[in-house]
Amino acid sequence: MSARGFGSVLSAGAVVGAALGFYLVSLRVASERAALEDVETRIALTQRDIRLLQTEIGTRGRLAQLERWNVKFIRLAAPNADQFVDGGFQLATLVAPRKTPAIEAPVVLAAASIPPSDNQSALTGDGAEAQPAPTPSRPVNEMMHVASYTVPQPKAAATAPAKPVVARAEALQGKAPAKTPPATKPIKTATSDPLAPLPGAGAKAKGSAPAASAVGANPKSKSKDSDD
Amino acid sequence: MNAPTPALVARPERLRLVGQRRQILAVMHQRLMLGMLVYAGIIAIIALRLIWLAAFGDHAGRKGGLVDLTPERSDIVDRDGQALARTIDAWTIGLQPSKVIGNKLDLAEKLAVLMPEKDAAAYLAMLRSGRNFYYLRRRAPPRLVSAINALGEPGLALEREPDRLYPQTSLAAHVVGFTDLDGKGNAGIERAFDERLRDPAQRGQPIVLSISSRVQQALEHELGNALATFSAIGAAGVVMDIHTGEVLAMTSLPQLNPNDAGDGTPEARFNRATLGVYELGSTFKPFTVAMAMDSGIIKSMGQIYPCPGVLNAYGHQIHDYHPFNRPCSVAEIMMESSNVGTAQIAGQLGKPRQEAFLRKMGFLDKVNVELKERGRTLTPGSRWGPFETMTVGFGHAIAVTPLHLATGYATLFNGGIYHPATLLKVDRNHPVGAGHRVFTEETSYKMRALLRLVVTKGTGKRADAPGYRIGGKTGTAQKLIGGRYSNSINVTSFAGVFPMDEPRYVIVAMLDEPKATPETFGFSTAGWNVAPVVSRTVSRIAPMLGVRPDMRREPNMAEVLPYVHEKAEH
Repeated sequence: MSARGFGSVLSAGAVVGAALGFYLVSLRVASERAALEDVETRIALTQRDIRLLQTEIGTRGRLAQLERWNVKFIRLAAPNADQFVDGGFQLATLVAPRKTPAIEAPVVLAAASIPPSDNQSALTGDGAEAQPAPTPSRPVNEMMHVASYTVPQPKAAATAPAKPVVARAEALQGKAPAKTPPATKPIKTATSDPLAPLPGAGAKAKGSAPAASAVGANPKSKSKDSDD
Repeated sequence: MNAPTPALVARPERLRLVGQRRQILAVMHQRLMLGMLVYAGIIAIIALRLIWLAAFGDHAGRKGGLVDLTPERSDIVDRDGQALARTIDAWTIGLQPSKVIGNKLDLAEKLAVLMPEKDAAAYLAMLRSGRNFYYLRRRAPPRLVSAINALGEPGLALEREPDRLYPQTSLAAHVVGFTDLDGKGNAGIERAFDERLRDPAQRGQPIVLSISSRVQQALEHELGNALATFSAIGAAGVVMDIHTGEVLAMTSLPQLNPNDAGDGTPEARFNRATLGVYELGSTFKPFTVAMAMDSGIIKSMGQIYPCPGVLNAYGHQIHDYHPFNRPCSVAEIMMESSNVGTAQIAGQLGKPRQEAFLRKMGFLDKVNVELKERGRTLTPGSRWGPFETMTVGFGHAIAVTPLHLATGYATLFNGGIYHPATLLKVDRNHPVGAGHRVFTEETSYKMRALLRLVVTKGTGKRADAPGYRIGGKTGTAQKLIGGRYSNSINVTSFAGVFPMDEPRYVIVAMLDEPKATPETFGFSTAGWNVAPVVSRTVSRIAPMLGVRPDMRREPNMAEVLPYVHEKAEH
């Protein structure tokens, strides 16, 4: 009895609930649609902006303007007939093989008068005419070239430039100094030079005399920065 | 007991009254019911409408119209898709004097500072006038708009309105044309396709022109340089694909800026390439030779004509610029651009055949192109007698447009088939215009070597661009000044085709009244002023057009070289 009495209420409630549910679904759909339309509107606005910006870029970079710049500053010209090649092969024939710089290229550490004329080119030559082949067997100590920047005493000055001392090329390449045992040999001049500082002084670039002595005394501490 | 009690027996009038009341009640009930039903019905309608709207209707936040990106007028782009004309929203600054609330004197001074094209007094006069609206500035820059907005004056109206912008400014201005303030096409493509550009169904799609911006720029630049160097009053140029009739570049100088077309001079608005007609002189000679070859009059390039210094014909004298004074071959006539020789060939050809050929090439009608600015050809008309046939043979007494000439050369070198010129890109939507045969294929082939000879050995040497095998013909025509041909004022032109061993493009350049300069040793003929333009332009555009320079290729010069009298080496 009581159940039948509530039946209508329940069914009415169910109908209201269902209606409410449908409405909520519809509301949800509408809000999603609104969000979608917002996005579409934003896309459209962005596209309009892109179009405007493209137009502006096109106007600022118009061909007449580029041409004017070219005539005044850039000065590019159309390629002539000789600059066209048939393909990769013809292109390759145009390029002469470049001489690779010799790995053993000697480096002059400092300026000094160099008496021997036969190995001068090997010493001062820069990349292009450097030919390491003729003197591969020359001892390193002969290639070494010591610069003395202040020579106040005439006795020392006479001996200093006589025996050039040059750093080995491997040192340039940054190889381990431990592998260069010959570097310990050429220090005849350094020991005879009374002006030479104590062994163990910091090795410096630019091939000053102290550097040479440092090389001789302490090969481990030989720095890699003896470039130039 | 028998007496009826008054209480029980109703009096008849009372009974009537009761009946009446019952009737009234019933009526009232009915009316109430009706009213309720109407009321319920309205509520039901509203409720149903609400449910309908909730389920299917638009929501309040809907923004209509913004999503629509279709421009007011469709874009015009070149064949590579680069914009030549666009419609954008531009700011417009207006003034509504009646709505101004601030101090008018102050406002006038501020306006004069911001927009110095008028002074404060003029602005004050505008503010005090009774008019409703003034345009202060159209297409205002954003900085000015924000400055005007910062004045905070309700009488200043800032609005956006669609505006036609030509991003490349004067590039191809005579092809693209321009619009008036109301956005109606006034010239060029804007005018010819006005309906199509404004049609809401089609304006989303741009009109694709056959013009190539880069080729156009090269042509305009080189012609412009020549115009300045030789102080010419005008110039025109056309580059055209000979197989499809597509115009890749077409220019007329002095140039016009379509963004500000109103300020252009009438001279600048005049399209010399399609509207101006000129006697183009010797550039006509190849047509005469080709007509004679097709008609069987010239059987070989070695055919000999007497070439005296002066030819007396029908009471007139025909002179040569480089007189032979000896018999000369057809190849030599063309190479040295001999009027005397060409006149004799034209004389053999006769008027009927000449006219028929010219008509088939479209030279007697307005040039066939989409533009509306098309000039009418000038011909001898009723006076077209034997002598006029001779002069038409070497390009005098007939005036055509430079585009006519380009179409004619395209016809002559594409195998002999006439195609109308077109400014729209030829693709799936726009096929090549219907053509008809004018010259035979053999004639077309033989003409290649003849015109290449003009450039390698003849009057057009300065038109050569190494490797690009240009062939062509110079033309120097005296201008009619006050009914007489002037001796010093010329129209010089060059019509060329490249690469000559397999022709693909025709180029026509023309200078109107070029002056001699020290560099040209006092000459003002085509070989000195307009031929170098062609050389430089072709060097620039040929790589863009996919023509590879090749020093080892030439047309079959064995057709003509045996018939050229070589000067003895000393």
